[in-house]
Amino acid sequence: MSQSQKPPARRNSLWWDALRHLRRQPLAMVSLGVILFYVGLALLCSAGVIFTDYALVDHNRPYQEPSWENWLGTDIFGRDVLARAAHGSITSLSVGFVGTGLALVIGTLLGALAGYFGGRTDDLVVWFYTTVDTIPYILLVVSLAFIMGPSLQTLYLAIGLTFWVSHCRIVRAEFLKHRERDYVQGALAVGASHWRRIFIHILPNIFHLILINFSLVFVTAVKSEVILSFLGLGVEPGVPSWGMMINDARLELPRGVWWGLAAATGFMFFLILAFNLFNDALREALDPKRSRV
Amino acid sequence: MSSDSLIEIKNLSVEFQTDDGQVKAVKNISFSIPRGKTMGLVGESGSGKSVSSLAIMRLIPNPPGKITSGEILFDGQDLLKLSEPQMRKIRGNRISMIFQEPMTSLNPVFTIGDQICETLMLHRGMDKKAALAKVVELLDQVGIPNPAQRVNSYPHEMSGGQRQRVMIAMAIACEPDLLIADEPTTALDVTIQKQILELLAKLQKEYNMSVLFITHDLGVIADIADQVVVMYRGDIVEQGRTLDIFQQPQHPYTKGLLACRPSLDKNPLRLPTVSDFMTEEGKEKNFDVESIKQVKASRPVQEEKNPVLLEVFELEKHFPTKKGIFGNVQEWLKAVDNVSFKVRKGRTLGLVGESGCGKTTLGRSLLRLIEPTAGQVLYNGTDVTSLDRKAMRQMRRKMQIIFQDPYASLNPRMTVGSAIMEPMIIHGIGESKDERMEKAGELMDKVGLSRIMLNRYPHEFSGGQRQRICIARALAVSPEFIVCDESVSALDVSIQAQILNLLLDLQEELDLTYIFISHDLAVVKFISDEVAVMYGGKILEMNDALGIYENPQHDYTKKLLSAIPKGL
Repeated sequence: MSQSQKPPARRNSLWWDALRHLRRQPLAMVSLGVILFYVGLALLCSAGVIFTDYALVDHNRPYQEPSWENWLGTDIFGRDVLARAAHGSITSLSVGFVGTGLALVIGTLLGALAGYFGGRTDDLVVWFYTTVDTIPYILLVVSLAFIMGPSLQTLYLAIGLTFWVSHCRIVRAEFLKHRERDYVQGALAVGASHWRRIFIHILPNIFHLILINFSLVFVTAVKSEVILSFLGLGVEPGVPSWGMMINDARLELPRGVWWGLAAATGFMFFLILAFNLFNDALREALDPKRSRV
Repeated sequence: MSSDSLIEIKNLSVEFQTDDGQVKAVKNISFSIPRGKTMGLVGESGSGKSVSSLAIMRLIPNPPGKITSGEILFDGQDLLKLSEPQMRKIRGNRISMIFQEPMTSLNPVFTIGDQICETLMLHRGMDKKAALAKVVELLDQVGIPNPAQRVNSYPHEMSGGQRQRVMIAMAIACEPDLLIADEPTTALDVTIQKQILELLAKLQKEYNMSVLFITHDLGVIADIADQVVVMYRGDIVEQGRTLDIFQQPQHPYTKGLLACRPSLDKNPLRLPTVSDFMTEEGKEKNFDVESIKQVKASRPVQEEKNPVLLEVFELEKHFPTKKGIFGNVQEWLKAVDNVSFKVRKGRTLGLVGESGCGKTTLGRSLLRLIEPTAGQVLYNGTDVTSLDRKAMRQMRRKMQIIFQDPYASLNPRMTVGSAIMEPMIIHGIGESKDERMEKAGELMDKVGLSRIMLNRYPHEFSGGQRQRICIARALAVSPEFIVCDESVSALDVSIQAQILNLLLDLQEELDLTYIFISHDLAVVKFISDEVAVMYGGKILEMNDALGIYENPQHDYTKKLLSAIPKGL
């Protein structure tokens, strides 16, 4: 048989269309480039290819000013600040990806069940997320950190278990809307199961929202990691983290040592900015109301 | 210019910039609107009729739209050369407009009085008190009961027909020279449509206005317009006096458009389509008009060939409308109220009624897309309402539904092929993916589409094509019984004729049984063997198709029939 002799010259689906739109936005492409640069940096650092000397202590060279040898100077232990900052991206990105991923999985699942089934299930989920929402996340994180001790895993859990609420609300609302749509009714009419209607029919139709939420929650997660590490609730001491570097800067700044702070905030600034700009472009590209006559 | 024309449009072209380049929405058209007459502008979706009217108001969104050439002479003055402040003095004052959707064209947070006052104060410089007095007078004129009290109503407190009356009151507030009515009755029920058309005709005479009446419905045009302009793909194909166009259409497109519309006084075996009269390029085809004059004989029931397939017994569906503080229901809406009927195999039952009469709820309750509150649906003797989930899934192989809006009823994220194969996967039809693909291809052939299209997404298809895809999907499980829920209402007339013919062919070929739900009596008459008229959740009257139109028993049926525009 000959069902697909010639695939259409121009792929026409929402995703391809969005991709085409994104590729025409220079700012979006630059932002994506920056994000990929960070990902690449983190991967190379953790693979031990570059900046391998991040933990190399040299007590003879504390607080060296930026020079050709140490582009961003050294810290109190004589460690290279640039290498520390680069390694900090591992912490930030892993917290960003794992924490956000966890939050989105929880939020999507609960939101989908609540919105799709309605009734008692909905009542229960709504009760649950409003309850979680009333606990300030710092408190939750502090208690988690006390129980588990400061570590990356604590950060993953803390962010994953608190940041799902707003996402859950959005997914629930979308499911409420979509379950009444004709295409879902049509799926019921051909005998599709609940599972099929939720995951094969509705979920792909709201996936763009999940993607947009991902980049929003990601930014908040990265910032939270910095804040928590600054408060001493994040990663264990010794692990490079931008929050730790900013924390150290409290003691360094009075001595005129500005480069530690500059490196950490600079690294954070460009990552967050790139993510925010990319998120804006992504939202526009995936907006069904954007005219694509 | 001749003094009997209020507006003269000369060589108007409008283009839109899209992702795919320039699209010419209106191509070099010229026509004029005489003073004190009603001009009908007819065309199907995408013909450029609304764009032309927006061009007169200078309301084309720019970008992406642009008027690339032409003149619009209004009383000798070229509207396209006016400055924006000058144009604002004309808009709403000398030229005003009413839209299709009275729900969205009124601002929900202001009372209707305030909204009409605004126009009067703006253009006529009236003070609030004088304006309000005028508003009461206007509301009275457009037939709103108790106008002195209703000025303080909010839009949501009024029905669709009343809202359209308010829109009309707003449009005529400044006694415009030209009223542009863009599909003003399309969203309304036929009985309401009739009232609004009568109102517009009355006001047109009283104010001696010119009216530009835009519609896709030829029946409406014949009732209201003195002259007609027919548009097709951005071009004017024909213009002239209404009577001439209807009796002696010259252009093949007009001929096709007139012929493909089901009507109450004709009873053809098949509907002709525009493509019978015209080639893709717009050339005339030799079409034997006699071949469509073949009259459909009413099909008598044969007991052995048409056994009772579906028997509905005292079916009810109630929705709670008011709940107490403890969640106990205090008021119910009886959407389907004690309905009983039978459908025989291989035949079609038409279900007509106006919006809110419960016809859709009834159709969906039969398939348990909505769980009925009480009653029985016996399918071949099995009570569908009491089946468990597994048995119900098996039952869904036999009973299918085709929805109204082909844009909403296909999952936009699924290729057409996956959509058609999905029911086969669910019911274990076909051994392998290739086998199912082959069957999907056959179904595409059957509904008149190419199987090469299987790996495309729904938005790449036109409305008519999508409805064909929905039909193919419904047929994928080889059902015996199909509920068509307003399945052709969202389509243009020429496409509607094709889909109706397709449904008839499929019934013949596959011995299908249909319940055909529609608000359009002519369509129902064309396709049905029996017709049931619904009102307020009840079936008022049921008879064979010819009988109900020739000899209606119930007052409501008579009212419904008399409200249909005759179309000459």
